[in-house]
Amino acid sequence: MQRLAASVMLILAVSMLTFGAMNLLGDPLFNILGPAAADTKPESLAKVAAAKELYYLDRPLPERYVRWLGDMVTGDFGVQFGSTGQPPVSELVKERFPRSLTLLVMAQLLAAMIAIPWALISAARANKPADRISTVNSFLLIAMPNFALAVILKYVFGIKLGWFPLTFKATDPWLTRVYQTFLPALTIALPAAAVYQRLLRTDLITTLQEDFILMARSKGVGRQRVLFKHALRPSLFSFITVFGINTGTLIGGSLIVENIFRIPGLGSAIVEAILREDFPVVLAIVMIITTAFVLVNVLVDAVYTLIDPRVRR
Amino acid sequence: MTSLQTDGRVADGRLLTVEDLRTTFATERGPVCAVDGVSLTLDRGQALGIVGESGSGKTVLSRSIMGLLPSTARREGSIRFGDQDLLGPNAPDMSRLWGREMSMVFQNPMVSLNPVMRIGEQIAEPLRIHLGMSRRDAKATAIRLLRDVRIPEPDRRVDQYPHELSGGMRQRVMIAIALACGPTLLFADEPTTALDVTVQAQILELIAEQRAERNMSVVLVTHDLGVVAGHTDVIAVMYGGRLVEIAPTKVLFSQMRMPYTEALLQSIPRLDQKSHTRLNAIPGRPPDLHDPPRGCAFAPRCAFARDRCREEAPPLATAENPDHKFACWYPVGSPEYHETKERISAGLEIGSTS
Ligand SMILES: Nc1ncnc2c1ncn2[C@@H]1O[C@H](COP(=O)(O)OP(=O)(O)OP(=O)(O)O)[C@@H](O)[C@H]1O
Ligand code: SF4
Ligand SMILES: [Mg+2]
Repeated sequence: MQRLAASVMLILAVSMLTFGAMNLLGDPLFNILGPAAADTKPESLAKVAAAKELYYLDRPLPERYVRWLGDMVTGDFGVQFGSTGQPPVSELVKERFPRSLTLLVMAQLLAAMIAIPWALISAARANKPADRISTVNSFLLIAMPNFALAVILKYVFGIKLGWFPLTFKATDPWLTRVYQTFLPALTIALPAAAVYQRLLRTDLITTLQEDFILMARSKGVGRQRVLFKHALRPSLFSFITVFGINTGTLIGGSLIVENIFRIPGLGSAIVEAILREDFPVVLAIVMIITTAFVLVNVLVDAVYTLIDPRVRR
Repeated sequence: MTSLQTDGRVADGRLLTVEDLRTTFATERGPVCAVDGVSLTLDRGQALGIVGESGSGKTVLSRSIMGLLPSTARREGSIRFGDQDLLGPNAPDMSRLWGREMSMVFQNPMVSLNPVMRIGEQIAEPLRIHLGMSRRDAKATAIRLLRDVRIPEPDRRVDQYPHELSGGMRQRVMIAIALACGPTLLFADEPTTALDVTVQAQILELIAEQRAERNMSVVLVTHDLGVVAGHTDVIAVMYGGRLVEIAPTKVLFSQMRMPYTEALLQSIPRLDQKSHTRLNAIPGRPPDLHDPPRGCAFAPRCAFARDRCREEAPPLATAENPDHKFACWYPVGSPEYHETKERISAGLEIGSTS
């Protein structure tokens, strides 16, 4: 409960910061519209009027904030003044966010699916040759720059073997797009899996030294069952913590990977918006990322209590 | 009561024969011989006490018999359990014996139960693995076992987690787990040291009662001679990895021969002390197992040591009672012993360790 209150506070704090950035650093109208704010061309004047209306610029600051926040909460993110036709920001979000989300979910699922068995195997053979080789491999994966891995995967699986498509078509059906997302997801998943594997392996090795593991063995529980039923669950804490942090970070999209694989996701959206000084878009994405980040944290806490009854109150 | 298995089991008579057992750990500082040439036997239904100071090898000995050692350990000698040779080329898969034929109650119940698994599940595990019980039967049996070890409200406790139980209750749960499949041999490695005094007595009583009820053999490990006095048939005294005296409990207490055993008896902790505080009542330190002394390992600390003790290790010799063995050149009751005693009491010499 306390954590939940803290989460809400965090979201509010970030909203005040972003709102402050828009309203207090220079003229808000200029922040929103750019040079058009000072224009006297008829279409610019129309824009100014629209912006004043949308962002309640003729109201006092506190009221402006509350109304703006209310709009945010209800999914009304304003208008993309920087783009032609001035479509609502929510349209862009609706288009880009699912792509980043697909990429994120797939990448994290893949990473967990790789990391957990990998950690179990290497922890069971701690410091034996197989484990040492796996350590070298994981450090290689962690050290390799993301774009290099992307290029390698693209070349091997996309070009040489031709297993996966290299292009992303927004018009393709959902399932096809998931298939298209596999390689970029793997690019994110591999180094993440290596990190998770390291953490989980270390915790597993510590857990395996515990008395209750010896106790389990003395009951006649086989080695595999000891690993899965007794050692894994109490060893998940650092893994889940970092998994949560990574999830939060990836919600904004992985810029490099989205770029290399030409997936127009949230990551590229925010960069484009910054480049064309489209303030409302930037604000909306920042708010979405923050909220998601906080939600993920709440979720991680919930998972903690699921794993360990001692955390429950 | 749980279903006791009978097939292929020793109904009566000799259950365990250990001969010249030697357990060596490979360490960075070289090999450590933590159990050195131990021989002993145990009959069905008998209770054996293993006593000795901290580091004397009690835990390693019991785990060597059970085969529950880290991979750095190597065992030599012979261990016969029923009609099975546990160390020979035809040694059985120990995980089939663990929990079923022999099980262990660990020293510290606070850390020996899985913190994230329900009590009932932990008791049910060996039942399901070894006896192939269904989930429901295993749970019903778990509740019955909890009742056997005198845990109140077993129907509720069975769904609880270890942290919801007191130390004494957890040790009872450990005993319930160990007893689940009705083993013939139970190891209890200092089962009460982590508990407070009143609970200690209850746990020992519980083990004794279950032993009688199940005709189970028990190996009770402790550093406190007082603990084993009332609960064992035979006592083995260990020092520096070796057996230095072994005798039926009554005989040991009436005719102990090793000065070390005598010193141990005199160092029984007072009741008002927390018994897991390490006893340093015997002056001096246990031998360095990396570099064991040539003669009697106790010589540097023994008031009765003479030149011979430092030169030549005493063999395990049989006393008047054929079941009583001890390893000492100048045992309690020998002329040399009396001579030293007189000198000490005359105050002519204070100790003879110089
Ligand atoms: N895994 C191991 N590697 C190396 N040496 C070990 C290992 N386990 C035990 N030893 C050594 O074996 C000796 C006997 O240890 P053990 O634990 O059997 O003593 P103990 O009599 O049970 O003492 P305590 O009363 O403290 O439990 C000790 O000197 C210890 O250092
Ligand atoms: S052999 Fe000597 S040193 Fe060892 S216990 Fe006997 S008297 Fe003491
Ligand atoms: Mg011990």
